[in-house]
Amino acid sequence: MKKLTYFPGCSAHGTSEEFDSTLKLALKTLEVELEDIPDWNCCGATSAHVMTENLAYALPLRNLVLAEKLENTTMGIACASCYQRMKVTKVHMDENPALAARINTTIVEEGTYQGKVDVKSMLQYAYEDIGIETIKSKVTNPLTGLKVACYYGCLLTRPKKITMFDSPEYPMSMDRICEALGATATDFDYKTECCGASFSISNTEVVEGLSGKILEMAKESGAHAIVVACPLCQSNLDMRQPDIEKKSGKKIGMPIFYFTQLMALAFGHPVEKLKFSKHIVPVEGALANIGKAEPAPEKTKKTTKAVEAESEEN
Amino acid sequence: MLTLGTQGKNTFLKAVNDKSGANVLECYQCGKCVGTCPVSEFMDFPPREIMQMIKLGLKNECYMANSHWFCLTCSACSGRCPREIDIPAVMEAIRHLAIEENYVNDSKKVREIRKFHEIFLDMVKRYGRNYELRMMAEFNIRTRNLFKDMHLAPKALLKGKIPLGVKPLKSAKAIKRMYEVAEKLEKNK
Repeated sequence: MKKLTYFPGCSAHGTSEEFDSTLKLALKTLEVELEDIPDWNCCGATSAHVMTENLAYALPLRNLVLAEKLENTTMGIACASCYQRMKVTKVHMDENPALAARINTTIVEEGTYQGKVDVKSMLQYAYEDIGIETIKSKVTNPLTGLKVACYYGCLLTRPKKITMFDSPEYPMSMDRICEALGATATDFDYKTECCGASFSISNTEVVEGLSGKILEMAKESGAHAIVVACPLCQSNLDMRQPDIEKKSGKKIGMPIFYFTQLMALAFGHPVEKLKFSKHIVPVEGALANIGKAEPAPEKTKKTTKAVEAESEEN
Repeated sequence: MLTLGTQGKNTFLKAVNDKSGANVLECYQCGKCVGTCPVSEFMDFPPREIMQMIKLGLKNECYMANSHWFCLTCSACSGRCPREIDIPAVMEAIRHLAIEENYVNDSKKVREIRKFHEIFLDMVKRYGRNYELRMMAEFNIRTRNLFKDMHLAPKALLKGKIPLGVKPLKSAKAIKRMYEVAEKLEKNK
């Protein structure tokens, strides 16, 4: 069993509980054990950095310092917003010791920041540390026939100098994971468009407009479902979908999976444990495609975009 | 005549550059940021215009615009900027400076966006974590819009998407102190 320090984030106990629990199921199969940061606090996303600089660094810094007390030196983060704030804080603290010293005065009791812990999103951890081959080797229930549009949103790959992961324009890591699970990833131009993120409550019309376009493009790409790695993307695309349909007068019916749900499904975990009942848009129609269609041809011709993304990686 | 702020007289340009770590003077007005920005259509001035306004020292106009409140920090613009300017950091610098100097944009949308962030930070101060249901309820009460999103509530609650309980953090005290120190740091700058 490998160990990984884990920052669940606030939504893991609320709107994205199924992300958290299916992540744990999938990682069990992959022989990774998660160790929660004891007494972790909210990272402040997005509000802290919108309103004030010091608090925006202080909230994540406390978690980084607490994580340094654990044995493992990599922190895996489920939520994309938490990941981004934690990584921004880490990069800026490491680059600027004077800033680190100033922010450290806000967290006396917990200790001093040393920069020992690396920060990764769970998508990055699955892709880089576990690897496609290992993921493939654990598949007992291939998702053949299921076509998915992989949606990364803004924060998992941008800005490049902070995340240092995948392509900021046309990432492929989640696509490759889904393909390793047996599903087919569609060519999807809106992979990294913003869903409206933290405007979900305060500026709902903007979210409905932006998320509406993403849903429409995913449908046009021929996908049966969208796959995400961010709780806010999931809730904007799933929970707001009925209202988006009502406004446009067009039925979309696009279920929004966490990539961990599909991993757990392909690894043979029972469907009842995947918490599909929490979804607002029903998933049954999309899942019915599994095993129905003919398997995808051995090596489909790579699209220009996939080739571009690859060359950028190298 | 308005001149670009190269003679050191444009204190606003200097303040924004210092705070953001970017160099706004490098912007050559290509407008790629505007085409990329998912919310530029809602802004009083899209990012390209804000950049030019900073160069011209139009401080009040920048502070009072809604642009920096609409910026989602998605970083699509900075990824495509041919001058590699960190535009979201510039937007953030303007926002922080405007807050520090007590400039208030009183339009309904900006009020609501700001209120949301204040409620969020309040909640974290009290509990150390964020509780979505409470936050939504408080937002509706404090913006006097009681029925917003209520049609989503029954389904979301039934599906257990939004838990009712609030478990305060063991070290909620540490977070309260963190807020106090951070506020002091903010004032001493």
